[in-house]
Amino acid sequence: MMPFQFKFKPGIPVFEQVIYAVKKALVSSQLATGDKFPSVRQLSQELKINPNTAHKAIMALVEDGILTVRPGIGTVVAEVPPATRQQKRSFLTEDLEQLVVEARKLSLELPEVEDALRQQWNRFTKEK
Amino acid sequence: MNAIIQTENLGRKYRKKEALKHLTLSVPEGSIFAFLGPNGAGKTTTIKTFMNILGPTGGRASVLGVDSRKLGPAELAQIGYVSENQKYPAWMTVQQLLDYCRPFYPTWDTAFEAKLQDQFRLPMNVKIKTLSRGMQVKAALLSSLAYRPRLLVLDEPFSGLDPLVRDEFIHGILELSEQENWSVFISSHDIDEVERLADWVGVINEGELQLAEPTVSLQARFRQVEVVTAVEATLPSMLPKTWLNPQATGHTVRFVDSQYVEEKSGEILTNAFPSLTQTDVQPMSLREIFIALARTYQFAAR
Repeated sequence: MMPFQFKFKPGIPVFEQVIYAVKKALVSSQLATGDKFPSVRQLSQELKINPNTAHKAIMALVEDGILTVRPGIGTVVAEVPPATRQQKRSFLTEDLEQLVVEARKLSLELPEVEDALRQQWNRFTKEK
Repeated sequence: MNAIIQTENLGRKYRKKEALKHLTLSVPEGSIFAFLGPNGAGKTTTIKTFMNILGPTGGRASVLGVDSRKLGPAELAQIGYVSENQKYPAWMTVQQLLDYCRPFYPTWDTAFEAKLQDQFRLPMNVKIKTLSRGMQVKAALLSSLAYRPRLLVLDEPFSGLDPLVRDEFIHGILELSEQENWSVFISSHDIDEVERLADWVGVINEGELQLAEPTVSLQARFRQVEVVTAVEATLPSMLPKTWLNPQATGHTVRFVDSQYVEEKSGEILTNAFPSLTQTDVQPMSLREIFIALARTYQFAAR
């Protein structure tokens, strides 16, 4: 089983998607320091991706300091400083961009969008 | 990069019909190469020709560096081949099939054979003719993987398989990633299955190779573009050849850009559509790219 969530989106390079999924899992604490990270073979088989791509993704994450190789254990999640609120927010950039584009197509004003956002926000707060 | 399969001006005629026309293709060693094309495009003929099941009527092909017409036991022992139209020795049990195949392959790995047997949950003592299609295909794959081939050739392997068996099949192929040297050539209609796997894509139509390139570069240059204009939308008289399937309706123009470059896109669009008010540019899945290309071929054939 993969220790992080991965939903394949056709059309976007697989390599980028894996990196993104791992970074997101770190920020949301689904992955924590010291957690064992899947091997190239496990990653490739579980996600049904090319082993070359899996290898490249792991190498890139090691280079970024997100993973470290521990001899005899394998690859584990490195000690990463806790995500800043800024970093957490950056994961919404794309969704926000999409929202703004759609709102502008409908010629809505910012306060109206804020209002709609607040309504949705409160809906979830109540349900919990 | 070394080519594991190489064809040069490969041709194949059936009577007068040219099934392959000057096909020049290079499959890099270490890649998973997806070979796509509409029905009757020449995918199976290509495979049969470089596998020396059919002789070429023009040009040449080589596999593992050896001319296809001279492929012998030494090469075939390093190639795994599973085809949709495979004929199985129906009277044999799976066990008998494996016992029969094993001696032909010096590199046969019995521990790997046992592992795959277990993974595929194959009944060993049942006659092949009584097995389901999925089980038959898994038996064929097992007998082609157990000797850890350097090259795996798969001709429409997923057709008629349920999603669970497809998953098992892909897991089986990826078991080979443990070894250092392996390449896969896979012709398939199931583009969604191969999109994650393939790092190279080739497209063939009417016996001619249309493209062969890394998946990443193909996906980088294809975009679905939608433009909204203030005045009623019309197609510019001089359309770039790289725009596929352009259509205009109401205030909207839609086309597929096959040579998209982010930095230049804005300017090109404003020049082509002076009254443009909105643009929407979306990356495309391999399936969408294939459909866009196939439509262009249909249109060209008319």
